[in-house]
Amino acid sequence: MRSIFLQILAVTTINLKSLPQRLWLSLATVIAVGLVVTVLLAFLSMANGFRRTIADSGAEDVAVVLRSGAVSEINSVVLRDQVRLIEDGPGIARGPDGKPQTSAELYLTVNGIKRSTGTKASLPLRGLGPQGPALRRGVVMTAGRMFNPGSNEIIVGRALGKEFEGFELDQTVTFNNTRWTVVGIFGADGSVFESEIWADLPVLQSLFKRAGSVQTVRARLTSPAAIETLRAYSDTDPRLKLDVMSEAAYFAQQASNTSDLIQKLGWPLAIAMAFGSLAGALNTMYSSVATRATEIATLRAIGFGGFSTFIGTMVESLILAAVGGVIGAAATYLVFDGFTASTMGASFSQVVFNFQLSPRLIGQGLLLALVVGLIGGLFPALRAARMPIVTGLYG
Amino acid sequence: MNDLVLIRKNLFRRKLRAILMMVSILIAFAIFGVLASFERAFNAGQDRATPDRLVVLNKINFTQPLPISYYNRVAAIDGVAQITHFSWFGGYYQEPRNFIAAFAVDPQNWMKLRDSDFVFSPEARAAFIRERTGVLVGARMMEKWGWKVGDHIPISSSVWSQKNGSHAWDFIIVGSFTARIPQADTNVMLMGYDYFNETRSFGKDLINWLALRTTSVAANERVTNAIDGMFANSPYETTTDSEKAFNKAFAAQLGNIALIVELVVGAAFVTILMIVGNTMVMTVRERTREIGVLKTLGFSGGRILRMVLGESILLALLGGLPGLGVALLLITRVRDSLMSFVPTLSLYPDIAAAAVGLMVVFGIITGLVPALNAMRLNIVTALGRS
Repeated sequence: MRSIFLQILAVTTINLKSLPQRLWLSLATVIAVGLVVTVLLAFLSMANGFRRTIADSGAEDVAVVLRSGAVSEINSVVLRDQVRLIEDGPGIARGPDGKPQTSAELYLTVNGIKRSTGTKASLPLRGLGPQGPALRRGVVMTAGRMFNPGSNEIIVGRALGKEFEGFELDQTVTFNNTRWTVVGIFGADGSVFESEIWADLPVLQSLFKRAGSVQTVRARLTSPAAIETLRAYSDTDPRLKLDVMSEAAYFAQQASNTSDLIQKLGWPLAIAMAFGSLAGALNTMYSSVATRATEIATLRAIGFGGFSTFIGTMVESLILAAVGGVIGAAATYLVFDGFTASTMGASFSQVVFNFQLSPRLIGQGLLLALVVGLIGGLFPALRAARMPIVTGLYG
Repeated sequence: MNDLVLIRKNLFRRKLRAILMMVSILIAFAIFGVLASFERAFNAGQDRATPDRLVVLNKINFTQPLPISYYNRVAAIDGVAQITHFSWFGGYYQEPRNFIAAFAVDPQNWMKLRDSDFVFSPEARAAFIRERTGVLVGARMMEKWGWKVGDHIPISSSVWSQKNGSHAWDFIIVGSFTARIPQADTNVMLMGYDYFNETRSFGKDLINWLALRTTSVAANERVTNAIDGMFANSPYETTTDSEKAFNKAFAAQLGNIALIVELVVGAAFVTILMIVGNTMVMTVRERTREIGVLKTLGFSGGRILRMVLGESILLALLGGLPGLGVALLLITRVRDSLMSFVPTLSLYPDIAAAAVGLMVVFGIITGLVPALNAMRLNIVTALGRS
């Protein structure tokens, strides 16, 4: 046993020490594997960042009420009478003043300019009541102040302000001959709400001629389980043709389409590229075996087993692939991690998110690299192990 | 035995190595073909739009409505040749995930405006104008759901409800139409605005946008200023844009697709460039002695150069052309599942031509260094080197 181990060690050392002779070819393999891993991880970190921004925005104990079949906030319509019925519904938490903790909201889109491209982009403008901010996790004013009810004042999410121009603090913006002043910038724990502009609901309703209706109602539940109570209440009342779901479920559904699409693009592309780099790896390893034919045959002649030659070649291939994988992961981390991008969400408006690399994703990238190394080393290693000694010596 | 035979024999001297290189080239060109076509289809909205087409939208955002009264007022402006209005229906069939691109329009004028994109049969044309609850459905949508002309279909809306509280509208398919140009997307449904406007429970007499054609491109600027000036300081201000610019801005909102495509294709190409380039250098080095023999026999340096370059170009074509074939196969496979996302996905001839050009360039780049080395090779060194 020990002798086999020593043999493997010796052969592996010979292989690795002779790498500089095949420097360019080995380097090509390393870089090829590195690029495959970079492409895969760029897509995965994009999907991951988008999903986490949206999916983490939702709370389990907040209900979102939309018109049935509306799918997203922009399509929904909830009439004034329905808002009242929902506010009186069961399972809704009440504040110290005895009022139900609900927020009827209007969700509109307005034009802004994306800083990086200078192109027009649709941004969400949300009208909400005094209880609205409290229904969201970690809303804090990072600059300026909250808007005053009944005034033409807006506050702007931190992420939106970074990506789009025209909404800096103290700026005025005009929608339909009405001037609005940006009085504050708010953060919301990195959630999707940081990609929104907030204003006072009644003011927006009158400006956009939507006095009789809102688009959604959010409500703080007494417990996450109370969603069932509220849903049953809504389903049994013929006046309420509404969908009741937890905010977490609503956002999970909103995030899944886009992040699935990104992942569905990323994996096939990376696997296709992996096949390309596999061809390169096989090529490198075959020529590695070919150039070492004399050494291999000499070792075999002095009593080394075929197994140690096999393992030695495999280790060489795996090390090349692993180095490529690590370089690819490091490159992705340096270039893409934390990279800010924005795309269109389900409501035809922009969502700002960051690319997020996670240990699990890096693991997936390295796994792909090692699979390339494993297959790329297997056949050449078999050839090395089976090479007749005479051929090698007189090659 | 002419040079071509020699090139071929050289290339396949080590069968496995040649096949491996071809596989990696094949994959790179398959990726190129698919992604370039994808990007082209994604931006098809811009290519379809002729420069004399304008859209009139609400200034706040395209999701905000405009009054129907604007329709006649804009139509009367000097320089407007054809015009129709559009309202977004937000349709789905049976389940919310079965999205149906449906719009309420003025039937007669919509068909006039779209005559250059679509082919309408005289029967369909007449029926769409005549039938109040009739819808016109594009050929691809008919095919997707297996509908026939004359079918009664319930289409639900995720936005609108009828006065009776129902979200589902019953329509009769009165006709279909096909694309006149490849970029035109027929995965679309049109309904008459009058019926839609009278039965919906809110939003009466509002539309989403106007689409018009000017008498000439020269009139564009004047028409744009006339429209936006007419409605300045009104409760519904407008912004008039060319259809091309609007489509481009809309596509750009999904993010920088072009950049992503370029990065991925670039990465794939760099990978194979390195692998194939290195291997070519190696194979030519292995043949040093042979090249020495050829030169002794009187082959000129230029001829040797051409032979090595020919080998690398042949390799690129043998890998790249099947790669394009694979791309074509993939595109036809995924076309239907991505129909709502990129309606006009196909491998355009100019993309294929660009790919072939790239193959030749690629072959020259990978073969250049070894070919120059072979050309400059000194016979004495060559025969002395083992």
